[in-house]
Amino acid sequence: MTGPMTRPVLAACAVVLVLLALVPVLESNYLIDLFNEIMIYALFALSLNVIIGYSGNVSFGHAAYFAIGGYTMAILLTTYQWPLLPAFAASVAFSFVASGVVAYFCTRLTDIYFAMLTLAFSMLVWGVAFKWRSMTGGDDGFVGVDVPAFIAERVPFYYFSLVVIAIAVAVLWVICHSAFGRALLAVRENPVRAGFVGINTRLMRWWAFVVAGTFAGIAGSLFAMVHRGMYTESAFWPESATVLIMTLLGGMYSFFGPAIGAASLFLLERLTNEYTEYWPLVLGTILLVILMFLPEGLAGLAKAVRRQILRVR
Amino acid sequence: MKRSLLVATAAAAVLTAGAVQADEIRIGVLYPIAGTGAVYGEPAMHGHNMAVDELNAAGGILGKKIVSFARDTKLKPAAASAAAKELITKDDVNVLVGGLSSAVGLAISEVARQEGVVYVATIPKTIKLTTEKRHDHVFRTASHTDFEGDAMGQIVAKLGLKKICDIQLDYAYGHDLAAGIEKGLKRHAPDAEKVLDLRVKLGATDYNAFISQIMGAGCDGVTSGLWGSHFVNFAQQGSPFGLFNQIKYISGGEIASHEIAGKMKGDYPDNVWSNTYELWYHHHDPSHVAFQEALAERSGTKETAMWPVLAYIGVKFIAAAAEKAGSMDADALAAALKGMSISTPVGPRTIDPETHQADTGQFWGPMVKKEGVDYRVMDPVTFIPAVIAE
Repeated sequence: MTGPMTRPVLAACAVVLVLLALVPVLESNYLIDLFNEIMIYALFALSLNVIIGYSGNVSFGHAAYFAIGGYTMAILLTTYQWPLLPAFAASVAFSFVASGVVAYFCTRLTDIYFAMLTLAFSMLVWGVAFKWRSMTGGDDGFVGVDVPAFIAERVPFYYFSLVVIAIAVAVLWVICHSAFGRALLAVRENPVRAGFVGINTRLMRWWAFVVAGTFAGIAGSLFAMVHRGMYTESAFWPESATVLIMTLLGGMYSFFGPAIGAASLFLLERLTNEYTEYWPLVLGTILLVILMFLPEGLAGLAKAVRRQILRVR
Repeated sequence: MKRSLLVATAAAAVLTAGAVQADEIRIGVLYPIAGTGAVYGEPAMHGHNMAVDELNAAGGILGKKIVSFARDTKLKPAAASAAAKELITKDDVNVLVGGLSSAVGLAISEVARQEGVVYVATIPKTIKLTTEKRHDHVFRTASHTDFEGDAMGQIVAKLGLKKICDIQLDYAYGHDLAAGIEKGLKRHAPDAEKVLDLRVKLGATDYNAFISQIMGAGCDGVTSGLWGSHFVNFAQQGSPFGLFNQIKYISGGEIASHEIAGKMKGDYPDNVWSNTYELWYHHHDPSHVAFQEALAERSGTKETAMWPVLAYIGVKFIAAAAEKAGSMDADALAAALKGMSISTPVGPRTIDPETHQADTGQFWGPMVKKEGVDYRVMDPVTFIPAVIAE
């Protein structure tokens, strides 16, 4: 994992932030929408990596918390006409509670059993969203989210989204690089030894799950606002698979890797869709290449390339 | 990360350049062109392209060439929403057309509302699109579940059925159709009693439990919206038990369309009454002959599908509205579409100025065997107009 916030990392973050803040200057609605969605998926993938990269478990049901955050936000803003801040706080809180409950059960298990249980819970969430038509709109989707007037326009919403995501990523960074993050790494590397040195491994894994779920909920609530709707497919298992692939593509052993993976996969999908309908074929090939040749994803590749260059010099 | 974002910005900037050409009319088209939905989306694209080519050959719209920008909806509402947004913000389309499945239709409609662009829904049938979710810029040229339910009520009355079993797919369309049938029965066949309500999972392949329930309930009529492969499986599993000798099967799932009859051939059961938007062998309107010939040539088969005409009509409505409005401005276009009438290969169509719903009737009738062909045909064909008599 990356060490403490070094100067180059800080500088790179600042540059990215400034570039993102400058996107609306280009006056293209398309680019504003595009970058807004990329940022949301980047946060989604970063949140998943707390479970995968840091605690060393694979979740096949991360979309559940994205959907819970999104549906809560959509329903509170629209059906109950809550103001933005309480609705946002409630959706974060609800994602926290929901992932806490699920984590209680999932962290009793490890490996494939853990993965299967996360999948089972996410299908439960999907089932609720699908069947509870009066509340969620069922498979018609929850269409027409009332976004508060002051961020209803494209550019103000983009900046709102940018600020929320920047803060969320910063908080995630701090969490992952705190003593808690290091303890998680110890659990990932050797749970038995970590247990013997006095780390409550199950509690650590519980917290990792809850942090991941909560931040996925934040990404989901922004998604509901940017699309002005929430759909059951956001809770369905392929969505969990997509974010998993984003994380793997970017590199799960790097903090920022999943964000790069999310951006790359999202852009690739958009561009592929313009020229061909065979996106699944492209996706399958990407997955194959990662698994066979890039186990540490794009971030790992970048590191290897840098090492090579340094050696040549 | 920095570098990849820079590359991304540059790539996106290059891709957006070259947009906006004032001398053409840009239509954003949204159908599922790959995967499971492609069986419907592909024929729909034939109809769409046919209308565009015809219009372009005659000088386009307002003297400008029409260019279509097609995107795959993947039958998913979030994907459709993203695609619709991209068509508007990146490709600068003047108008959106298409949609397949209720959820996709509603999602596209929401984008149209936000962005202030006209959307003509050619296939989605959910009643919500023209009731609670209606807005200034959405119009529907497909039928809807209340019209279908009403027609089914009329058929139940005509056949004098008394005990009805209802079997529907357990998702939005199935629920809406069940509600439509309920209203239709009340209106036309108040004596008919519904004795059984069955809900089948979308995509189900095993119907044995439902078949025995229907046969045990002693109903003389079954109302249903099982479409496509759902009906194919249901019929193949029900026939050996003699289900179709015991009941009359009335369906709003467009299983009278030739794509189903032609696919099932000898497996198509007796006693089925169903609907379709179009039949290649039935010329309700004189203009249908030429339409069908051109479509046959384009699709490479004499026995053409039902979906193209829906996409075709959508484009024709847009063209007519643009000519009337004298511009492609969304508000002007919407104003022109309200109350607009055009003639189509399946008869005249008018959009209600209040509900934004076209009076899209359908062809209904029993599916019978015919000398010389190995598939069933509808005979007699009855056009039931989209009028709900209160």
